[in-house]
Amino acid sequence: MKRLAGWMLATPATLMIALLLVLPVAATIGMTFGAPGAGTWGVAQPYADFFTSGFRRRVLWRTFEVAGWVTVISLAGGLVTAYVVSRCPPRVKSILIVLAVFPLLTGVVVRSFAWLVLLGRQGMVNNVLQWSGVTDAPVAMLYTQGAVIVAMVYIFVPLMVLVLVGVLENIPEDLLQASSSLGAGPVASFLQVTLPLAVPGLIVGAVLVFTASFTSYATPHLLGGTRQMMMGTLLHQQAMVAFDWPGAAVVAAIMLVVIVATVLLMTRLARRMNPMTT
Amino acid sequence: MTQPLIIENITAHYGTTKVLENLSLSVAEGELVSLLGASGCGKTTTLRLVAGFLQPTSGTITLGPKNLTRLAAHQRDIGLVFQNYALFPHLTVRENVAFGLKQRKFGGTERLKRASAMLDRVGLAHLADRLPGELSGGQKQRVALARALVIEPPLLMFDEPLSNLDAKLRVDMRVEIRQLQRANGTTALYVTHDQEEAFSISDRVAIMHQGRIMQLDTPEVLYQKPANAFVANFVGFENLLALSVTARDGALVTAQTGDGALMTLSQDQLGAIPDRFLLATRADGLQVTTDPAAPGLTATLGLRTYLGRAYQYQAKAGALALVANGPLSQPLDQGAVVTLTPNPEQCAILAPE
Repeated sequence: MKRLAGWMLATPATLMIALLLVLPVAATIGMTFGAPGAGTWGVAQPYADFFTSGFRRRVLWRTFEVAGWVTVISLAGGLVTAYVVSRCPPRVKSILIVLAVFPLLTGVVVRSFAWLVLLGRQGMVNNVLQWSGVTDAPVAMLYTQGAVIVAMVYIFVPLMVLVLVGVLENIPEDLLQASSSLGAGPVASFLQVTLPLAVPGLIVGAVLVFTASFTSYATPHLLGGTRQMMMGTLLHQQAMVAFDWPGAAVVAAIMLVVIVATVLLMTRLARRMNPMTT
Repeated sequence: MTQPLIIENITAHYGTTKVLENLSLSVAEGELVSLLGASGCGKTTTLRLVAGFLQPTSGTITLGPKNLTRLAAHQRDIGLVFQNYALFPHLTVRENVAFGLKQRKFGGTERLKRASAMLDRVGLAHLADRLPGELSGGQKQRVALARALVIEPPLLMFDEPLSNLDAKLRVDMRVEIRQLQRANGTTALYVTHDQEEAFSISDRVAIMHQGRIMQLDTPEVLYQKPANAFVANFVGFENLLALSVTARDGALVTAQTGDGALMTLSQDQLGAIPDRFLLATRADGLQVTTDPAAPGLTATLGLRTYLGRAYQYQAKAGALALVANGPLSQPLDQGAVVTLTPNPEQCAILAPE
């Protein structure tokens, strides 16, 4: 009786997930397979089409490249910031965390527009560069890979800081004192104690940032344009401009595979590197 | 190798709160001195100052020829054993022990050799490849001890190292700590709130209260001849009687309590007695007799409790509340009027407050 009640309570949510998530994803993946005998690759022909197109291969590679750089830069910037924040007295710490999180309060689109204003030909950065005499003519910064990376780092560093402050704060002060009493200076303590103990947090942060930047749409759309197309923008173009739904489904499926693979790989890595879980 | 530690006129603050005032303490080469006191007495602060985790407002700390006062913690070369062991959870037992050697730039094979030899000494060679999470409390503390000893520091410090262990293990471990410290002849500073622990392993004990050392002496002297009322109370002198001398006859002194009760004491047994003084006794040091002619204080007995080796009585002598132990052979009832005679061997004469 109790079990039945439990099942009944779970039914609406289960139905909702089945209807709105499992079914559409299954339908999308189903769409990616061609008719048997349609080409040399049989049912996998749409995937073959994707990988034989140099343009699409470049888009996939660019997406890896951008997401990779964004992850690495966010990790480095986030770690330094989080380290400084975690060592501050409690009052200062909460102020700094609020400041770090502040950019998260506005939407991704708004923040990307801000970069549009800053990086444009008549934008503030170009004005300052010309006014100070660094360059004579405006530098093309918009619609470059650099612009996309900078804007995404700006979005993801606060996220990374939040994750890492929590992790660094959980490292007991005793351990750092033990380390220094044994003769390790600040740098040695950081490298041999703090960093190894922060690895699980770094991995969680890296997964978050990598998956979010790999699948991002608004920022590459606004700041990369069609010249710096990424998987997200390619998907949009295939579906909404070219109306090639099977082609768009293939892009979606590839993104899904990459994300799932990344998450699995990273969580395995985290489990292996975190001594506390063994 | 081993060096004397000298702390001179140290004053320390946490924010604006003064936690230590003009504290001086020296620990001779190879000596083990304990800092004993309730929480908040400044014992841990003193240890943190010596370790370099805290900066004194004024004063100096020297270890042998080296002035530690302004040196960073990692340059002080002190072996430290923590209350929570503070083992590195991501390193194996052997790597934990070798950590200090690594910082001292010992080569890989030399590190391994020394760490293994030290683990052998603390009886943990078979656990060298485990992670700290897989060890029991006692084993963890042995690793922490090995990690502090392997760097052959001129000074070892212990911050309540046994307070997380169960009673039986505590006794075993303190013997082990003492043996290792003796064998190496290392100067040691030991912080604890456990009197038995401090007295059992120390050469000398400093009893601390409100950021000051109340008395620094051998355990024997502290236990038998406390220097002031605080220490007397701390080491278990339950009764403190304020007395003033009314007559002297050679070595014999007659003294009077606030209520006017008289008692006779011998300076041969108690040492010089000033005109006004406190007589401190343990419950065992007040003999309970029903003989009204015996010298001492007349008291009325209150609650009786059974201690196993004696009966303990809450007694009232006028306005004074006293605790006295009486023999098992003669249980006395509540309300009995008795004489309490101080046994000079278990009394101390203190200056009045």
